[in-house]
Amino acid sequence: MDACASKYPILILATEDCSYPGANSVGQAHQNYPDNTYIIRTPTPALFPEKFYLDCFAKGIGGIIIMSCGVECPYEGAYPALAKRVDRIYALMKQKGLDIRRLRLTAICTVCNRAFIKEVNLMNQVVAELGAPGSEARAA
Amino acid sequence: MSKLNNCQEQPKIGVYVCHCGGNISDHVDVAKVVEQAGGLDNVTVARDNSFMCSDPGQELIIEDIKSGKVNRIVVASCAPALHESTFRGAIARAGMNPYLYEHANIREQVSWVHHGPGATDKATALVAAAVGKAGELEALEPIRVEAEAHATVLGGGVAGMSAARDLAAQGLKVALVEKSPFLGGQVAQLDKTFPSNEAAGELLSALAAQVLADQRITVYTCAELSEYSGYVGSFKLKIRRTPPSGEDLERLALAKDAAPGEFVPFVGVAAWPVPYEAEEVALVSGAIVLATGFEHYTPPMGEYGYGQMPEVITLPELIRLMADESATGEQLVVNGKPVGSLALIHCVGSRQIPGVHQPGPDGKLNQHCSRVCCTATLQAACELREKFPETNVFELYRDIRTYGRGHEEYYLNAGRSGVIFARFEPEAPPVVTQGGEDSALTVTVLDKLLAGEELAIGVDLVVLAVGMEPRDNQSLVEKMKLPVGADRFLLEVHPKLRPVELPAAGIYLAGACQAPMDTSEAANAAGAAAAKAGAILSAGFVELDPFVAEVDESKCVGSGACVQACLADEAIEMIDTQVGKRARVNPALCMGCGVCVAACEQGAIELSGWTLGQYEAMVDAIVAQALPQGA
Repeated sequence: MDACASKYPILILATEDCSYPGANSVGQAHQNYPDNTYIIRTPTPALFPEKFYLDCFAKGIGGIIIMSCGVECPYEGAYPALAKRVDRIYALMKQKGLDIRRLRLTAICTVCNRAFIKEVNLMNQVVAELGAPGSEARAA
Repeated sequence: MSKLNNCQEQPKIGVYVCHCGGNISDHVDVAKVVEQAGGLDNVTVARDNSFMCSDPGQELIIEDIKSGKVNRIVVASCAPALHESTFRGAIARAGMNPYLYEHANIREQVSWVHHGPGATDKATALVAAAVGKAGELEALEPIRVEAEAHATVLGGGVAGMSAARDLAAQGLKVALVEKSPFLGGQVAQLDKTFPSNEAAGELLSALAAQVLADQRITVYTCAELSEYSGYVGSFKLKIRRTPPSGEDLERLALAKDAAPGEFVPFVGVAAWPVPYEAEEVALVSGAIVLATGFEHYTPPMGEYGYGQMPEVITLPELIRLMADESATGEQLVVNGKPVGSLALIHCVGSRQIPGVHQPGPDGKLNQHCSRVCCTATLQAACELREKFPETNVFELYRDIRTYGRGHEEYYLNAGRSGVIFARFEPEAPPVVTQGGEDSALTVTVLDKLLAGEELAIGVDLVVLAVGMEPRDNQSLVEKMKLPVGADRFLLEVHPKLRPVELPAAGIYLAGACQAPMDTSEAANAAGAAAAKAGAILSAGFVELDPFVAEVDESKCVGSGACVQACLADEAIEMIDTQVGKRARVNPALCMGCGVCVAACEQGAIELSGWTLGQYEAMVDAIVAQALPQGA
């Protein structure tokens, strides 16, 4: 395993109304989590097309956690649209030999501190195990 | 608003890193972050300050803008929810477009969660990402739409009437739309309200008198929203009034002699006349307040014997029995039978647990706490003990949640007045059986307070403290595309930051349509909703955030994919142009979710302020900073 593997950046797409304040809540509680995580604020992750995710992996992002509002999404219909899109991304990832564990769709609320940390740690383990994005295809 | 359109120039980005006292600089090497930021492309100024949000901190930004050193701003500090608007305000004061701004969150998401060199490296990467986005920013202008000085309030309970009164007090015309022939909603089903013990009838009469006397408020009873379109400032609504039927006819019979504005106990405030034939009224409203209220949980047949044993009733039914003027004496009398003892069972239809409780007809459980039933039950227990001292009262509860001001007094008073408490586990609820030694029923409960000892309590009446459920608003939800939470109540944008707003601008929540709340809280929420609606309508126009979809017609091929994907009716339409059909966004209707962006294969539609190009620039910057050397 690549010694630097766990340092491959993890991108977190966090919704403005739920998981981004949720990440701030983790900060307010001074709870630690791995520092290779980069949180990007978005109205809803449903705005990102499939290509965005694949490009991220191609650029070297080790894992992406989509932290949506789930069924609490203020945009009625956005979450089902996002879930369908993620299915399509998984199919494309498989075609490209990318381990689909590198992308995870979650729902994190404004005070879901434990869930936030659990998801980040899980993804960090996955990225540590898999190493550089695309390396799993080369190894296969 | 006229601001310098600085985005026409080559980006000159100013980066300002905050120490936040020591909140950031105790864990992040701010000097190093500033040094690294100064070396990034397009960065012309990189500074730090103990408190960027302070006046001297803001002055740094203002001076750099005015002297022409910068035309885009990045501030790295606390969470954007705290000071994004502060810095946008400073930028605007300097004469620059406030949307040429990006925020890097290096306190909540860096210094408070990471320590050592990793914290500094991450802060550097987040600043680089913000700089990457800032380089792609364009000047935006708020969306300005004309606003009708008229609001529509749906629901004529306490929340709806309060909202209508408060809106009218701001000089707005108001349509108050109530489904039934009466005003007052669920409060009309009460005798006294807590914590003041004020008579519900007096409270409603006073409120309804203000509403009915105000010339600016038009009350439509027996009315429902039948058509909905438009956007903030100009919602086009149709209100359909229909002659009363079913239960409403029974209630009308009880109130047949009531004068307009008169309160009829357990019915409501008469708001005559009722329509004799169906009619439709067209309205144009600048804002809408939803105050459609709640319903009481109805126990299914057999839950604690409800529906099978006539001695098992609900708390609203008990309140009505106690309010009967003839109900006096040493003991409560129900159906001609004296009640020597009664048991009040808490959490019926609230805090339901999967695998323990049976779902309702819709397959859902009420997992929420209804919040008000503990105090309401204790209030009833205190009144029972006071009014009928020879009636023994038992309270069987899971937890007592008397959370509000003055509510705990009911708990203390209940204990002092001889109410006996037994605490049960949800997995082992009380069992109600017919017959007892000297009683109509026996309630068996494993009392946690007595280390799980089984108590068999002989009672003549069992009262179920039923919870609050969302009203069936399906038609409204579908018509207006309202967000609904997992608990089936209407869902606000953010419980703390935007607690009475919906994502669609100009639509607000008031009262228990949003969540279980008591009368005071419903009135508070109504006041907040009215203030929000009034604030946007009073100017005659509405300025909306410019973060809405925008079509690049040079890329659009007219596929209509964005229209298909759009979550808001009519926010995107296909229009005929000289080169064929092209998509066009109505900014006032766009919710800014961006679902259309992902749907367009041509990349012809973007969300202003959140474009894919900006996100890609952020990712590029993160990768450049964070990827291991040689990876």
